[in-house]
Amino acid sequence: MTAVDSLSFSVEPGQVTGFLGPNGAGKTTTLRMALGLITPDRGTTTIGGTPYAALTDPTRHVGAVLETAFHPGRTGRDHLRVYCRAAGLPGARADEVLAQVGLTPAGKRKAGNYSLGMRQRLGLATALLGDPQVLVLDEPANGLDPEGIQWLRGFLRHLAHDQGRTVLISSHLLAEVEQTADRVVIVGAGKLVREGTLDELRDESAGTVLVRTPAADQLAAALAGPDVVVETTAPGALTITGLTTDEVGHRAFTAGVELHELRARTSGLEEVYFRLTSGAEQYAAAPGSAS
Amino acid sequence: MNLVRSEWTKLLTTKVGFWLLLVGCLMAGGFTALFTALAGAQNGLPPVGSAAFSQTIAGVPAQVTVITLVLGVIGMTQEYRHRTATPTFLASPHRGRVVVAKLLAYAVAGLVVAVAVVAVTAAVAGVYGGARGAAPDWSGDALGVLARSGLALVVYAVIGVGIGALVRNQVGAVVGALVYLFVVEPIIGSIPATSSAYEYLPGGALAAMTAADRGTELLGAWQGGLLLLGYGLVAAVLGTVLAVRRDVV
Repeated sequence: MTAVDSLSFSVEPGQVTGFLGPNGAGKTTTLRMALGLITPDRGTTTIGGTPYAALTDPTRHVGAVLETAFHPGRTGRDHLRVYCRAAGLPGARADEVLAQVGLTPAGKRKAGNYSLGMRQRLGLATALLGDPQVLVLDEPANGLDPEGIQWLRGFLRHLAHDQGRTVLISSHLLAEVEQTADRVVIVGAGKLVREGTLDELRDESAGTVLVRTPAADQLAAALAGPDVVVETTAPGALTITGLTTDEVGHRAFTAGVELHELRARTSGLEEVYFRLTSGAEQYAAAPGSAS
Repeated sequence: MNLVRSEWTKLLTTKVGFWLLLVGCLMAGGFTALFTALAGAQNGLPPVGSAAFSQTIAGVPAQVTVITLVLGVIGMTQEYRHRTATPTFLASPHRGRVVVAKLLAYAVAGLVVAVAVVAVTAAVAGVYGGARGAAPDWSGDALGVLARSGLALVVYAVIGVGIGALVRNQVGAVVGALVYLFVVEPIIGSIPATSSAYEYLPGGALAAMTAADRGTELLGAWQGGLLLLGYGLVAAVLGTVLAVRRDVV
């Protein structure tokens, strides 16, 4: 089974990049390939030009939160000390990152007794041990309460915007990254669907016009153009992308087409995301490379 | 070296190592007390004060090799059981180095267990044997047997890591190792057609390593020890190539 096929994108420093796609789109597989945990059949992933496995002291370059993984009988602080040792970092880093994620009071408790939110924080603390320039987080908001999500958003933005780090967070929910991410990379069925800033995506959501007409075919022909997409959403109903209501009304008038309804629809980002990932053909960009 | 220290931290921050050490010492102390209590021709055991008694006691640590075997198996397989393989391999993408670090770390851990088990054995035999007439005499062959029995505990920790690397599933590895040791190997040894192979199997090698007066059907002590170590290292290498390098999902 091919989980990820010819997916190519890049992530830049100083920004939070959202890595979006429905469950099963290949997000986790992609991240694990980037981190050398899964070997891809073809292709490479590099961090600042170097494959993860070739990095000296990888945890000082890249921090990753992939899943909640710790021995339940070990305290949170001891868990961090284990990975301090492995990376040759001073043990004091364990206490520093515990404080950074607000877990100091629970540091001496067994990780097996942690709540889901505390586990996510411990995972984040593990990723921060080496003070890495690049942070990769797989579904970090899972299990966080609203307050925790608020905190995480602020924390990640601070790491990217104020400290110039590269932050990549995956999620299956656009709403989750909407307030955090500057850019998004959207995947569906293992392929790149869209890559761009959230503003670009918002522009896209603004340009839809809904029309009801008894002469749908005639109007569709009149509207056809290079940047225009006309979809028949129901008998006698068209959704037009790439034209304003003024332009549609003018062309309908010129073509002598009777209109029963003409309105602009500003669909939310969520809807654009849904359309992108539900396999609407015209949006399925070729798996191109972007650097 | 950082990875080896990381493994020790892992071992010292959970309780399994402590419990295995405790159980190992209790088993060794118990066996020693039993051999001492029943020493005497009427029970089919060498009497206290004889050279044979000293050698029997000296072989006791080799009876608890299952402890260091399980210690090594858990040391490796817990990474998969608790999914800590992910952060471990993120910290060291060279997975072979992780396995080597575990082999070294658990050889040392096995040595700690060995020293404790040998000390308990010698202490119990010294005190209880003394009370029954004579403490074991460590001046002759018995000292060598005792040392090699302890060394067997170290080698079994290495074998445990190797099995763990090969099998990855904690329950499967522990149960498989126990079934092999207590079911498969005794059967192979008991069938005349296959018993000649026994000397080259881990059990035969362990017997060769710790037997006081071996028959012709066993290897020499050092050959047995090296063969055992070889089994552990081969399992570790095969495990690294076949299992540990597999994708961690």
